[in-house]
Amino acid sequence: MATDLMDRLKILADGAKYDVSCSSSGSSRANSNGGIGSAASSGICHTWTSDGRCVSLLKILMTNRCIYDCAYCVNRRSNDIQRVALSPAEVAELTIGFYRRNYIEGLFLSTGVVRSADYTMELLIQAVRTLREQYRFNGYIHLKLVPGADPLLVQQAGLWADRVSVNLELPTRESLQLLAPDKTRDSVVGPMRQVSSLITVNRAERKQSRKVPRFAPAGQSTQLIVGATGESDRQIVTLSEQLYQRLDLKRVYYSAFIPTVTDIRLPARPEAPLRREHRLYQADWLLRYYGFSAHELLDEGSPNLDSELDPKTGWALRHLELFPLEINRASYEELLRVPGIGVRSAQRIIQARRQGHLGIDDLGRLGIVMKRARYFITARGRYAGENGLESSALRSRLVDGPKQKRPVQLSLGLEQPVGDETASLITGEL
Amino acid sequence: MSGCYTYDGTLAGLLTLYARLLPEQITVERISAFPLEQHSLFNSEICIATDQAVAEAFWQRLTKRLSTNSLKLLRRCLLAEHPQQELLIYHYLLLEAEQGRRIDGMLAHPAVAPVWKLSQQVAREAHRYLGFVRFQQLQGGLYYATIAPDHRILLLIGAHFAERFSDQQWVIHDQRHGEGILYDAEKQEWLLLPMEVTAQPDVTPEEVQFQELWRSYFTTLAIPERRNLKLQQGKVPLKVRACLTEFGG
Repeated sequence: MATDLMDRLKILADGAKYDVSCSSSGSSRANSNGGIGSAASSGICHTWTSDGRCVSLLKILMTNRCIYDCAYCVNRRSNDIQRVALSPAEVAELTIGFYRRNYIEGLFLSTGVVRSADYTMELLIQAVRTLREQYRFNGYIHLKLVPGADPLLVQQAGLWADRVSVNLELPTRESLQLLAPDKTRDSVVGPMRQVSSLITVNRAERKQSRKVPRFAPAGQSTQLIVGATGESDRQIVTLSEQLYQRLDLKRVYYSAFIPTVTDIRLPARPEAPLRREHRLYQADWLLRYYGFSAHELLDEGSPNLDSELDPKTGWALRHLELFPLEINRASYEELLRVPGIGVRSAQRIIQARRQGHLGIDDLGRLGIVMKRARYFITARGRYAGENGLESSALRSRLVDGPKQKRPVQLSLGLEQPVGDETASLITGEL
Repeated sequence: MSGCYTYDGTLAGLLTLYARLLPEQITVERISAFPLEQHSLFNSEICIATDQAVAEAFWQRLTKRLSTNSLKLLRRCLLAEHPQQELLIYHYLLLEAEQGRRIDGMLAHPAVAPVWKLSQQVAREAHRYLGFVRFQQLQGGLYYATIAPDHRILLLIGAHFAERFSDQQWVIHDQRHGEGILYDAEKQEWLLLPMEVTAQPDVTPEEVQFQELWRSYFTTLAIPERRNLKLQQGKVPLKVRACLTEFGG
């Protein structure tokens, strides 16, 4: 029995692991009902796997059976793999067993689609309800919405879970049509819209009365597969910007597509997909925390992010007329745009300079990355870069990596044999 | 009076020392706990005797004087394991005596920045250990975890675990510093105690099963094509792995 459970856990974890969403943040649930668990708003990582990704939630599929046949997905109908399922009770039991030992922060529950979208969605909700009601579990739950599920079920899902998500997977309608012919753009975007408006309504209602139960307190997120279709970074970043602005998403995840599956609909192996993914995340952070907009980072002339420079440095190099910036006078918004100054260090600069002007030596103590920042700032009028901003060597000095080392992390580990050659690296399970 | 001072290594001892030296604004080169390390042959060390009453009165005054932020900073630094933390805190308190609450904003001051950095290190480690604690279910129902952190972070993580696992009996044992937290689920209270290992923990059969499930789950999660051991080691340093189930601990 135990080995059977072990096997199923393996298969269902294997099917879920390509969903990159990992965070357990954004919700602070107290253990108020004498049950088990709490959610920390900062999120807590519990361990890291050998690919360097954090493990925070028990990420599994309810089942890897699926009626859909999406080209990028490991669980697609036409893929010849073993199909198994967990019952809602088993999911709950596993979650609690792991949680009590502090292995995890909560549950991330996804699934292949069996019978119908509604039936599948009901199964997921049942598992989560068991946790919340029977076990009085107050830990974090991230629940996947099944595209095309009844709006009433979507609403229920948000009441039990901390975060809900439905994966957009492909940036454009055309790509979705090509690679996931069973799903329509509307069946994916529909639930996202609904969740977005339910969150807005819930927020307003909770202002009136604190007794109104929270709806998806940690908001919603989505995932985009990068590199399976021909979209440019500009299209992707612009899409993310819209998702953040119009649908108020908490996170957009990017998943580099590394095709190990042969399907004529898929492109040839792209170059350095992990580096591209990394740059997209950097651009994403600039959108969310640094006040940048997509058109500042990318335009028609340069539709893709520079692989050698982080997007902020790239932007700064294109706008040298704005620099150097006097650190003692610049506004918070201006400070945020200096390469080497992050949100924390900008806040610390503002706080520290109230007590007196800051010199170059002070800046290092405040946590500013002088390696990059020194070319773009002055402190008490002093410039700390060894060459001026006009220097043609500036770009090469700012290129990533200590002492121009060859990038190691981001190349594909080609020497690693791929066990199952039919396994696609990115699933789009829901 | 200036030079090297020693105290008995307790918190009360250190607070007594501060209470005695601060009002005189004495220049201090070194503060060390018993037993003395022979650093300098020619400096005679002055030993400050612990006085519980003085220490308590001093701490009372301090908690009233300092802002919430400074107090938090200070508490973390007192829990740190750093060769010079006593001296760093002393310099910080000297500046505080002079500047009062203005010190909160003086982040770049040479007496403040190191204290802030140390406090940051302690806070980071405490946060990491919210994730790195691994409980094992023992015969009799107790959940037992061992950790070996650099700093004495137990006091910083106790409340988190007390809330989260309020319905289970648990112990987190800091083997490096020989202390542990014992949580009593009935009284819903936790206590920091000196602790020693006496025997190998006797785990339940269910525990063995869950550990196996967890290990195999953990191995499955890695994507071979994205393998990046360097990144992993940055996140999970080798020194913490001995206590982590998934790394064979």
